[in-house]
Amino acid sequence: MPAAAAALTVLALALASAALAGNGGLAPPDAESPNAEGINQTYYFILAFTGVIFVLVEGLLLLFVFRFRRGRRSREAEGPQIRGNTRLELIWTLLPVLILVAIGGFVFYKLPGIQNVPSANAQGGRLDVTVEGHRYYWEYRYPNGVVAVDRMRAPVGQNVQLTLVAPVDDVIHSWWIPALGGKLDTIPGQTNRTWFRARRSGTFVGQCAEFCGIQHAAMLAAVEVMPREEFEQWLASEERAQRTGSSMLGADTWAGACAKCHGQNAQGGIGPTLVGNGAFRDREALEAIVRQGQGEMPPIGQTWDDRQVDALYRYVRREFGSGGGTGGG
Amino acid sequence: MAVNHVEARPYRPDWKRGRVAGWVTTVDHKRIGLLYIATTLVFFLAGGVLALLMRAQLATPNEQFITKESYNELFTMHGVTMIFLVVVPIFAGFANFLVPLMIGARDMAFPRLNALSYWLFLFGGIVLYSSWFSTGGAPDVGWTIYPPNSVFAGGTGVDLLILSLHILSISSLLGAINLIVTIHRMRAPGMTWMRLPLFVWSIEVYAAMLVVVLPALSAGLTLLLLDRKADTHFFLPAEGGNALLYQHVFWFFGHPEVYIMILPAMGIISEILPVFARKPIFGYAAMVLALVAIGFFSLLVWAHHMFTVGLSRPLLGFFMVASMVIAIPTGIKIFNWLATTWRGNLIFDTPMLYALGFVGVFTIGGLSGIFLAAFPFDWQVHDSYFVVAHLHYVLFGGSMFGIFAGLHYWWPKLFGRLLDERLGKLSFWLVLAGFNLTFFPQHMLGMMGMPRRIYTYGQGGAWEWYNLASTIGAGVMGVGIAVIALNVIVTTRRGRRAGGDPWRGDTLEWYTTSPPPPENFDRPLPYISSARPLRDLRRRIQESGAG
Ligand code: HEC
Ligand SMILES: [Cu+2]
Repeated sequence: MPAAAAALTVLALALASAALAGNGGLAPPDAESPNAEGINQTYYFILAFTGVIFVLVEGLLLLFVFRFRRGRRSREAEGPQIRGNTRLELIWTLLPVLILVAIGGFVFYKLPGIQNVPSANAQGGRLDVTVEGHRYYWEYRYPNGVVAVDRMRAPVGQNVQLTLVAPVDDVIHSWWIPALGGKLDTIPGQTNRTWFRARRSGTFVGQCAEFCGIQHAAMLAAVEVMPREEFEQWLASEERAQRTGSSMLGADTWAGACAKCHGQNAQGGIGPTLVGNGAFRDREALEAIVRQGQGEMPPIGQTWDDRQVDALYRYVRREFGSGGGTGGG
Repeated sequence: MAVNHVEARPYRPDWKRGRVAGWVTTVDHKRIGLLYIATTLVFFLAGGVLALLMRAQLATPNEQFITKESYNELFTMHGVTMIFLVVVPIFAGFANFLVPLMIGARDMAFPRLNALSYWLFLFGGIVLYSSWFSTGGAPDVGWTIYPPNSVFAGGTGVDLLILSLHILSISSLLGAINLIVTIHRMRAPGMTWMRLPLFVWSIEVYAAMLVVVLPALSAGLTLLLLDRKADTHFFLPAEGGNALLYQHVFWFFGHPEVYIMILPAMGIISEILPVFARKPIFGYAAMVLALVAIGFFSLLVWAHHMFTVGLSRPLLGFFMVASMVIAIPTGIKIFNWLATTWRGNLIFDTPMLYALGFVGVFTIGGLSGIFLAAFPFDWQVHDSYFVVAHLHYVLFGGSMFGIFAGLHYWWPKLFGRLLDERLGKLSFWLVLAGFNLTFFPQHMLGMMGMPRRIYTYGQGGAWEWYNLASTIGAGVMGVGIAVIALNVIVTTRRGRRAGGDPWRGDTLEWYTTSPPPPENFDRPLPYISSARPLRDLRRRIQESGAG
């Protein structure tokens, strides 16, 4: 029995380690930003020590199980009555102390590179984006007034500072894009800061990591990183479009903020169906409901500016304003 | 103990002697212990079913087996059940049954208080489960009940949860005080602190910690209830409250709670390994010191559950260092257990298998804890499946393996019959394999970006495979636990009779019959001259026989 078990365990471990060596296994996902890179290095540093301890402990365990099994000895036979060994015990008290000091030291050595937000006049300048966690969507605000929902656009190779907040009437969420660094909570009444500097173009995804209610699982986030000129262009043209009311902000707001409860086609879900709802033909009514909430519906548009309400209103009036029932107001 | 037994035995009127009435009115520590253990095992099966339902929902992406509403209720109830209705009270059950026996006492210090603790526990459990039938259903905010979300949660589920936790806290507090007084005042002659069985030591620390930290939980929950029901706003930033205040109070209780759930399991392992290795525990004094050190330092690490809220750098540093300090006594224990098996005569009966399994898997949970203490890495994996994996390696691989080891070890003392060894071994291998298959892949899921407490996910590829593996593992574990249940059923009538001491134990509980008589010992106890009085006794008999 023990021999078979030991063989099985070794086989399982061999198979597992082969499967696990690579990315998506015991290796964390590729870091696409220096802070994520610093965290990955911390991970590997700790893994080097804990890996050795793991092999040592499990190896000794299997070895002793095999070597000191009863075999043909009588059940009564005693082993040598060893009560301890001060020298050995000191060794396995002090050695971990040294290892932990090394790990702690490495963490503090890497910390500035991970946590410190590069200053605004660092090389290449800095883009400041405010990230607002709402039930159950992310709202991003750019310095020129552009607003985006769930999908953030950012330039490649530039420092991006994220100011993390949540409306005072909301709950706690947590911002997390693994490839771009660790998570940090958005807490009502508090401001947190983090940053990233993306190495390459591409879309990096993540999602809210602090349980925030019924649609926590649907609170997805994406950061679309693009070449700098392309980004500047987008930001400028989006600013114009949002000012003149020709942007996609209304559709994005619907998909990010409303569809998770009312369905993409307003067919209903957690909230009632809204096709033909009166509020979609009455801007005041719509504004009241999104700013103040109603019953089980949270005040999810509390912090919006008028432009965003307008954009949403235009979108819902066009898409769902007619047809279906006549609704209330 | 020169006590007059006839006088000491309380008078019991006829109506209390019936089969049901006997159990309902009992103040005997063994019966209360059995009530605790039986009740917690029922809750364990319930909590396990909740877990299997969750794993079924997560088996494939975009699965619709369970609604999001139900899923949120499931993980809340699973967590609360396993922590407050299984692990903490089952140790109260073990302690109730075993502590008086192991220290050579006739009962607990306050038998009636003891009965009150149990009935309050049962009542608290019923209140919690009644929430399924309340308006809005069971609580759906997670076992941590964080505001503001938990203040906004509708229905009465959260209120019933708070009420239930208040009741359970009172129950635990009374039980803890009872255990402490019992251990301090009722030890057999000669049983000094350094001759106390390590399980009793672990219960001493367990009880002391409960007394220290439960009031914090009660305070936090009371404020939360006021926010929900009395329009106060301790935790509501919109009205000037502070949402993080709750987290500090909660984890001041919640982190020690984790050690409250693991220390007694460590105590169990420290009893079993020496018996089945036929050696004394390696480094008894270090083991005691390590228990006390873990208990003490666990009071200083709570904010490592809050590394992502935006703590200042000195706080981050302090809580990292304090958390890492705990790894040192934990390491001492693991190496001392290993050294206990060194050159032993290892007998692989089921209790020993679970004990060795504990050492193997708990080590993984301890090591992943070091990753989490390093706060920059924690920023990546906090509130992700990495943490789910870690906590289950500690609480299932640790606490539950310890509990299974203890159940198989003391079952014959509890009921007078041994569990079946073949079924026991089968269950061990199934549980061990299923456990690792369930939880190891979750480390990877967490690093890849899967947060905990999500009812579904859209990603295919590795996410899908790891989740599927995890669900299959949970099924295997479920079968393993069903085998344990089967073992209990088939051996109730037909199990081999145990006799007083089926394992050649070292401690006093094996000195009496199985199950023990009403006041535990029918013959005078030997004078206690070491931590292994029964081995001393065997040797004295052998020597006098030889001489
Ligand atoms: C958290 C889920 C949720 C989200 C997100 C949400 N709603 Fe609602 N909504 C509800 C619920 C639930 C109701 C029913 C409220 C009640 O009890 O009266 C509702 C009601 C409404 C009503 C009134 C229906 C009626 O006839 O009384 C309107 C209009 C509405 N929502 C619009 C929106 C818009 C626009 C958005 C996006 C900005 C949105 N909702 C986002 C859950 C949600
Ligand atoms: Cu969220």
